[in-house]
Amino acid sequence: MRASLVAVAAAAALAVLFVPGASATGRQCPHQWAEGWQVLANKVQAPVYCPTWMPNPLDAKIGGQYQDIYSIGKDRSYLVSFLEHGDLGSGDVHVNFRGYPGRLSVPKCPAPVGHGTTPCFSNPVAHLSANGIHATVYQVNQGADQWHILLAWHYRGTLYAVSEHVIPPYRFSTQVRRNLSLLLESLVLVRPHS
Amino acid sequence: MKLTRRRLLGGAAAAVAGGAGIYELVEQLGTSPKRPASGVAAFDEQHLIDLRTTHSEGVEVVVPPLHSEIVTATVEDVDLARARQQLDDALASLESSYDPTTPAGLGIAVAWGVPYFARVHAAAQRHLPFDRRAQKPVLLPTRRFPSDPETTILEQNDVAFLLRSDTLAHIEAAEGVLRGLDFLHLTSVRRGFAGGGFDGKQSLPKKLALAAGVPGADLIPDTSELFLGFTSTQKSGLGPRLIANHETLGYVDLRGGYFHGGTHMHLSHISEDLEAWYLNFDFGERVVTAFAPGQKAKPNQQTVPQGPKDIHDASQMRQTFNRTGRFGHSASIQPTSRLQQDHVGPDGALYPKGTAIPQRADFNTLDNPFFFSADPARDKWTKDPAAGVHFVVFNPTGDDFERNRLAMDGQLPDGTKLDVKPRSRAQGFNSVLTTTHRQNFLVPPRRHRSFPLAELS
Repeated sequence: MRASLVAVAAAAALAVLFVPGASATGRQCPHQWAEGWQVLANKVQAPVYCPTWMPNPLDAKIGGQYQDIYSIGKDRSYLVSFLEHGDLGSGDVHVNFRGYPGRLSVPKCPAPVGHGTTPCFSNPVAHLSANGIHATVYQVNQGADQWHILLAWHYRGTLYAVSEHVIPPYRFSTQVRRNLSLLLESLVLVRPHS
Repeated sequence: MKLTRRRLLGGAAAAVAGGAGIYELVEQLGTSPKRPASGVAAFDEQHLIDLRTTHSEGVEVVVPPLHSEIVTATVEDVDLARARQQLDDALASLESSYDPTTPAGLGIAVAWGVPYFARVHAAAQRHLPFDRRAQKPVLLPTRRFPSDPETTILEQNDVAFLLRSDTLAHIEAAEGVLRGLDFLHLTSVRRGFAGGGFDGKQSLPKKLALAAGVPGADLIPDTSELFLGFTSTQKSGLGPRLIANHETLGYVDLRGGYFHGGTHMHLSHISEDLEAWYLNFDFGERVVTAFAPGQKAKPNQQTVPQGPKDIHDASQMRQTFNRTGRFGHSASIQPTSRLQQDHVGPDGALYPKGTAIPQRADFNTLDNPFFFSADPARDKWTKDPAAGVHFVVFNPTGDDFERNRLAMDGQLPDGTKLDVKPRSRAQGFNSVLTTTHRQNFLVPPRRHRSFPLAELS
């Protein structure tokens, strides 16, 4: 019995130590971006992941010059995207952040052919681990994540995803996966204020 | 020849710097298959070449030549009799150096287009084969198909030379000989490769696409025979030996028999959008798109059986389309590309129901759209490599090819038109393929391969 208690205590300690995104380095959501992510966390009443690194030239300031979609559903799921249209030939850089509070399964999207549905994220091709997060790499994605490589993972009963478009200047999926790996490494949790 | 990673990367860099280098990498990166000698001097049919088979994921597959090349040309206004003799001599000389029956040597097929036959009009009127089934000439003017863009160029070459070998030097020797014939004005040179990967090692298309740095290269499965991730040379999916000859299936009136042993060849260049294929279609959708809705495949399977029992007829295709809103590439073509009943050929050979008719000789390319073009502006030529396929197929008649190609667009010979937009992803591969060039040709028998009918004009 004592051994079990010790084991439970040890597991609890590990859980505290390895909260995904709660960086041991003490990294925080950058000051200029923090307010927007905090507002988002408060609105969806769930932790959200704020990046501390973004692919050039994007930043992750909600309400800033690169913010594109900002959408919160009735089910508290959210999509926040950042986009640079390189109209002068520099190419597009497009990153999406998603969260589905209270949901673990991959959501369904309209099927590209016929009347059914299809998983919004499919063709898992690899796993990536960084920053205490164990993410699955999905190669075929729907909706706003079409033509994107996407990472998805769970944290405390919520499904999270971050994706980036495969398009110049990040022309190859290997480049995008490298960016996503850096993004994963950079994420920090922002908890809702009660 | 084995390469260290350093040498591979060095070669790749050279290839990116200069287009020609890409194809030289084939010999460095690929392993020439062992090819037993055929034991004959040459086949009566030009389009035949002995290709050994192996097994891939339990399915018997044909091992394609490592290298293929097409040289197209127009013929200058010269004495055809003299040109005929010169070309005959040149081809005979090549065949004395390289075994013409196997890719260990050099396969050569000479095919002639509508513009050439206009020059031997009188003899052509009397001797060109006629398709009794379609009530049309076997050699039809080239056309666009519903899923072709308006920009697809319908070519007007007099002649095309198909060169196939496991050794690039053999093909280069043949190209050199053709370039030396002063009556030919070369309009294009088209190069490519296929295969590798059946032994579990990284395939040539994957290696070459990576070396060339084409978009989507990193998404190609490592051992894939072709860029799109599936094997396409299942033995049961390719027409057996003589089936594509004009005379075998009884479709053709051979008139005086001049073209007995000949066939029809369609040549096209098709761009492939690898990123769209691998980033928008998950594996399951790639399987049903390439083959048929409901097609079962193990995860990441590349070689899917295509034997007679695996094929679809027209009514299954319609039912499946009504149920799923899509039809697969193979399923759409099989109602026209497979025998609908047993057939006995004129030589007594039995061709069972379900036997494939077309003999494909397609190969992947990094040409954009050609390795060389005499008219770069018209052909929208660029030195930047791009993924594509030089599609080469032999059918008994031009109409037979058109039936298959129209079926690929959901238009069946009985008049059925499946209600799907021309470039919809519901329609097989069409949404990721773009045909840039097309032309129909006749491939005479070997005895008449050089300027056919010129001696009768």
